[in-house]
Amino acid sequence: MRTLTREDGMTPALVCEGLVKRYGDKAVVDRVGFHIDEGEAYGLLGPNGAGKTTTISMLVGLLRPDAGSVRVGGVDVAEDPVAAKRLVGYVPQEIALYPELTARENLRYFGRLYGLPRRELTTRIGEVLELVGLSDRGDDKVDTYSGGMKRRTNIAVALLHRPRLLILDEPTVGVDPQSRVAILDRVEALVAEGMSLLYTSHYMEEVERVCTRVGIIDRGRVVADGTKRELVAELGGTDRVELVLDGDVEAAAERLRVVEGVSEVVATGSSSLRLLVTGGRHVLPALLAAVGDAGAVTGVEVVEPDLEAAFLHLTGSTLRD
Amino acid sequence: MAKNTVRPLLVVGGHELRSRLRDGTAPLIALLAPILLATLFGLALGGDDDPPLKATIGVVDLDGGEFPASVQREALETDELKGVLTFRRYPDEGAARSAVDGGEAGAALVFPAGFSEGVGAGRGGRVSVLESPESPLAGVVARGMVDRISSLVQARTLAVRASLDAGVPADRVQLFVEENGAAGPTLALEGDPVAGGPVDLAVHYGSGMAVMFAFFVVGTTARSLLTERQNGTLDRMRAAPVPLWTALVGKGVVGFGLALVSTCATWLSSVLIFGASWGDPRGVFLLLLAHVFAVTAIVMLVASGARTDAQADGLTLGVAFVFAFLGGSIVPVHNLPEWLREVSLITPNGWVSAGLSELAATGAGPSAVLLPVAVVTGIGVVAGALALLRFRKGRFA
Repeated sequence: MRTLTREDGMTPALVCEGLVKRYGDKAVVDRVGFHIDEGEAYGLLGPNGAGKTTTISMLVGLLRPDAGSVRVGGVDVAEDPVAAKRLVGYVPQEIALYPELTARENLRYFGRLYGLPRRELTTRIGEVLELVGLSDRGDDKVDTYSGGMKRRTNIAVALLHRPRLLILDEPTVGVDPQSRVAILDRVEALVAEGMSLLYTSHYMEEVERVCTRVGIIDRGRVVADGTKRELVAELGGTDRVELVLDGDVEAAAERLRVVEGVSEVVATGSSSLRLLVTGGRHVLPALLAAVGDAGAVTGVEVVEPDLEAAFLHLTGSTLRD
Repeated sequence: MAKNTVRPLLVVGGHELRSRLRDGTAPLIALLAPILLATLFGLALGGDDDPPLKATIGVVDLDGGEFPASVQREALETDELKGVLTFRRYPDEGAARSAVDGGEAGAALVFPAGFSEGVGAGRGGRVSVLESPESPLAGVVARGMVDRISSLVQARTLAVRASLDAGVPADRVQLFVEENGAAGPTLALEGDPVAGGPVDLAVHYGSGMAVMFAFFVVGTTARSLLTERQNGTLDRMRAAPVPLWTALVGKGVVGFGLALVSTCATWLSSVLIFGASWGDPRGVFLLLLAHVFAVTAIVMLVASGARTDAQADGLTLGVAFVFAFLGGSIVPVHNLPEWLREVSLITPNGWVSAGLSELAATGAGPSAVLLPVAVVTGIGVVAGALALLRFRKGRFA
C-alpha cells in the first residue's frame, strides 16, 4: 500500500488501511485497505454481504471502525471528521431524499447543511440539476419521479459542494436501461473532469466501463486489487465458459468439477453454469461428455479472460450470489 | 467552531419545524388537542353546577388560650372559606387522629398546652397538623393555616425578644407588643388557591393534559427521527460536514420547543377559559420547563430502542399513558391506591403534579418547587445520557 506523503506531489483522494468492523465475534470487515489516486475511478466489487457498504460507511464517517484508519485528501476521518466529510460526496445505496419535497427543495436543504452560502447555493442547484438532466423537473415533488430520476437527484445532492471524491454505492439499482446509461455517462464525464470516484455495483460491465482500477472484496477482505488487465492476467490461460443446459444443473456441476482443466463451476441460473477452464475450446468435448445424461446442453459460449472470470477465480462465486 | 455547530443545528431545526407545520402535527398535537381536552374535562367534571367542596378541620385545643380561638374565628371570617370550612373540636390528639382516619374530619390542628403563653413570652410554639390523603382540600387548608400561624408566631416571638432586649420589663412585654402592632393573630388566608371546587379541577385537568401531551409532542420528533433513518436521509445528514449528533439534537430541540409551547398554551387557556390560577407563574414555568426537558430525554431514550417509526409511536404512547396514569395526570394522585401513590414519584408527571398542587394550593413562590424541579431535571439528565449512549450505538448520533 502506498504511503501518503507530500513529496508524492499529489495527495491521494482516499487511503484506508487495516479497516476492521466487528459485530460480536464476527468481523464483517477484516483489515480492508486500498487507495484511490487523485482523479482515479476505483471500483469495489463484491457479492452481497461481502462488506462493501460497511466499508463505505466507515469511509464516509458514518461508522467508527474498530481498527484501522481512513484519510480523505490527506485528512484523517477520525481526527477531523467534519473537514474530511467536506471533501466527500456520498451517494447512498437507497434513495435518500424527502419525497414530499421537490428536487430543488431537497437540494436547498442539503446544500445549506453542507454550508453553502444562500446565493451561491441557488446558482449551484441550477448547475447540478442541469448536470443530471433534471432542469425542467426540478420544481416537481420527488415522489412523482421515476426510479431513474430519483437516482439522478440522489447523485445531484452529493455533487452540490463540489467534492473531491465521489462515493457511489450501487447507484443504478432499480433503474431502467435508459437512465442507467444516462447515469454512467454523467459519472464518466465527472471523472474526465478530474473527480476521484469510488464505485460499487453488482453490474460488472458498469465497473469495467467506468473504473480504471478494481478491488475485489469477499467475506470482509480485499482479495485482489489492481487494474482490469492485472486482475485478468492472474487467470493465465483460463477462459470463462458459459453453459446452458436443459436438465439437472447441480448434477451437471458435480460432474464438470472433476474434468481436468476445470477450476471453478457455479450455477448462474436454473439452467445455466459458469466454468473457469484452462485450455478453453480444446476441453469443450470433454465438458459435453461429462454432462452426459444430467442434461442436454443447448448452448455453449467460450469467453476470453475478463473481470467476470477474474471475480469467479478469486471468490469462487458470481457477483450476484 | 460555534458557527459550524449552530448553523447546521438551525438548518436541521428549521427543516424539522417546517415539516411539523406542513404535515399539521404541530398545531394539532401541540395546541388543539391538549387545549380542547383540558377544556372539555374542565367543563364536564369541574363545571359551575358542581357542589362546592367542604372541609372539616378538627381542633384539639390543649392550650385553652386566646390564640387557638382567634385562629378559628378569623379563618371562618375569611371570605374565600365561607361555606367551605367547618371546625370540630376533639379532646385530644388520639381522638382527632381517629376522626381524620375515619373521614369525620379532613384534617386536624393540635395546639399544645401553654402555646399562647409561650408565644406571648417570646418562646414561640408548635402546632401540629394531622392529614388524610382522602381529603386533600382539608389538608391544604390546614397546612395553609399552620403556615400562617407559624409566621405570626415568628413575628410575635421576634417582637417580644426585641422588646425584652430594649429593656421592657417581662411582666409588661405582652401588653407592650400588642399596643405596638402585634395585636394577635390576624389570619389572611389568600383566596384563590384554596377556593376549591371547579377551579381546582380546571387546574388538575389543564395541567394533566399539558403534562401528558408533552410526551405526544416530543413523540412526533422521535417518529420523524426514525422515519429519516428508514428513508436514509438521516445517514445523508450524518455524512454531511457537521457533527454526527446534529440531526438528533436539531430535531430534539424542536420537539422540546414545541412541547414547551404546548404546555404553556394549555396553561394559558386554562387561565383564560376558567380563570384558574396554577399558582406563582415563575414556579409554574420552572416546573413545566423541567418537565418538558425530562420528557424530551425520556421519549428520546424510548425511541433510541425502536427500529421503525411505528414502533417509536407505540412505545411513546405506552410510556405517555402509563406515566400519565401513575403520575396523576389523568386521575388525581390522591384517588389512587396508596402503593400507587408512592410509585407516582418515579414519574416526572408525579413530581410536577405535586409541585403544581403546592403552587396552586398554597400560593407559594418558586422556592416551594425547587425540589420537584431538581428531581425532574435529574430524571431528564439521566434519561438523556442513556439516550445519547444508545443513539450512538444505533447510528443516530
